[in-house]
Amino acid sequence: MMMVDGIELEIEGLTRHYSPQVTVGPISFEVRTGEFFSLLGPSGCGKTTTLRCIAGFETLNAGAIRLQGERLDDKPPHRRDVGLVFQNYALFPHLSVFDNVAFGLKLRRIARAEIVERVGQILRLVDLSTLARRFPAQLSGGQQQRVAIARSLVLEPRILMFDEPLSNLDFKLRIQMRDELKSLQRRLGKTAIYVTHDQTEALALSDRIAVLSHGQIEQIGTPDEIYERPATRFVAEFIGSSNLLPATIVERGEGVVIVTTDRGLRLRCAIDGEAAGTGVEVAVLIRPERVQIKATGLAGTPEENCFPARVVTVTYLGEDLRLDLELTTGQLLQGALKNVGAARDWAPAQPVDILLDPADLRLLRL
Amino acid sequence: MVTDPALALGVSRQARGGGAAKAGPVWAALTGPYALFLLFLLIVPLANVALFSIHRYSPTQVALPELTFDNYRKIADLYYLRLFARTLKLGLVTTVICALLGYPLAYWLARARPRPQAIGLFLLIMPLMVSAVIRIFGWIVILGRNGLVNEALAAVGLEPVRLLYSDTAVVIGLVNVFLPFMALPLMAAIERIPSTLEEAARNLGANWYQTFRRIILPLSMPGLISGSLLVYSISISAFVTPALMGNSRERMVAQQIYDEVLVSFNWPSASSLAVTLVFLTLMLMFSALYVTRRAARLEQTR
Repeated sequence: MMMVDGIELEIEGLTRHYSPQVTVGPISFEVRTGEFFSLLGPSGCGKTTTLRCIAGFETLNAGAIRLQGERLDDKPPHRRDVGLVFQNYALFPHLSVFDNVAFGLKLRRIARAEIVERVGQILRLVDLSTLARRFPAQLSGGQQQRVAIARSLVLEPRILMFDEPLSNLDFKLRIQMRDELKSLQRRLGKTAIYVTHDQTEALALSDRIAVLSHGQIEQIGTPDEIYERPATRFVAEFIGSSNLLPATIVERGEGVVIVTTDRGLRLRCAIDGEAAGTGVEVAVLIRPERVQIKATGLAGTPEENCFPARVVTVTYLGEDLRLDLELTTGQLLQGALKNVGAARDWAPAQPVDILLDPADLRLLRL
Repeated sequence: MVTDPALALGVSRQARGGGAAKAGPVWAALTGPYALFLLFLLIVPLANVALFSIHRYSPTQVALPELTFDNYRKIADLYYLRLFARTLKLGLVTTVICALLGYPLAYWLARARPRPQAIGLFLLIMPLMVSAVIRIFGWIVILGRNGLVNEALAAVGLEPVRLLYSDTAVVIGLVNVFLPFMALPLMAAIERIPSTLEEAARNLGANWYQTFRRIILPLSMPGLISGSLLVYSISISAFVTPALMGNSRERMVAQQIYDEVLVSFNWPSASSLAVTLVFLTLMLMFSALYVTRRAARLEQTR
């Protein structure tokens, strides 16, 4: 097999059967060298199975895994050269921080002096030099996390994989570790695969994301693509909040289609490809923060997707305000506003006009 | 006078309302019955045995009212030294074999799904549910001169071997009964080791042996130590198995004590043997505990 330039890891038709009802795959994707790649999905979507297949803890029923063009799936786990940081860190409780990090080096029969040097170097990198003699039980969650990363990194694996590494940390620490993780990966240029169910984490960290559901890949793309142009209804609903309106295409024009929702709302949508023909049933996606809310009488015409509406409830979220809106046709929409300026004045029962920019609307196949 | 149960209940409620001052008698009430049981049925008789062991033997009465250490001095005899050495050796061999057989079993049980685990546990403790005599009779049928083993050997044209009434037979019998005492503490210890630790070790480049040697073994050491102590201390005081399956001339300490109590009626000598055996067992336990405590402390402060 020729090594494909720039492709570090190649997953081809990975399939794992658990029972006739529960199957993961076939899953195929490629991870580029130096890339931060996330597998994102709800629990049970197959993301952890995929990771465990790469690490060798699960055997494939079909498909292939290649690391730099070389078959990986027929090797035992201890010969794979892929680092894995576990969700609960899996530090060895009977070994000190130093010995935890030195564990893999000792197995490789590396000279004592070199082990001391390499462990010292990596502990400095993760800022744990002063804690080398401590035991895992004496460390905070964030410190344990860094030991787990150091323990994998010191072996200089070809890829570094993370299984929900931040889920056991509290909110503030999670944000801090997330940023540290990202800067560490950028500095080292290490190819990373990151498994998470947290879309914010995936969006913040990743170069590319694969969204999984029910053992299948729904979409692979950059954070921007995943959020702005979700390929499926599932992706639209899983990433961020969304208004999804069932609708039918009634007219097609140059770069634009007109749809009517099941509540009789006529919407113009900008499209940048081939649209489906008229009569096709679709779902219209509007992100709540793209719903523009204006005082009545100020805004434009129905041609510009401007509709009268009424505020139903205002939910105070601190940084943001969430507004539930009811259009005169009975259509319900959710809007989100920053908690600043005039947005603070919206109150329930207030009549408003809402404006939906055609460029902010996406059509999704059902 | 409180004979009415409702009234008695009312009183006890009041007492509980009284708070911490009443906390003392609670543990006494919980442990008291068994403490009394131990005091009268174990401590007092043992003290009596200890007393016998320092009295002079008399062929006409149980013991002379004369203090002596002769009963202990006699243990320095080659005969008794050999007796103790053989007993301790058989105990050691039994313990080692139990550990070797017990580890894989315990590991499998600890990592098995609930259903196979329940079945495995049942099979493991089966020997304990069968009466010793019946179990040993089974072994006699298997190991005897015309037993299954020798018939099988004869069938393939090999010479018969003498298995029954030997140390080998005793060890086989002891391992059979005492394996659960090794496997159960080991299983409990291994169950507490998250399987992700093994996966982490594998991911860092350890093969299965290195994973066992560096992760499972050190982390299950408390289970191995308590299992070994249990098996060793009950092995060296075993009576029924060596009496029925062992060589009648090469005995273990418990058989010798039995003979001296019931055959030669030398209670002082039997008592000194018993005290020595108890002493050896206790020494062993305390040194094992000391070593583990020390190891644990070293680990924490290293």
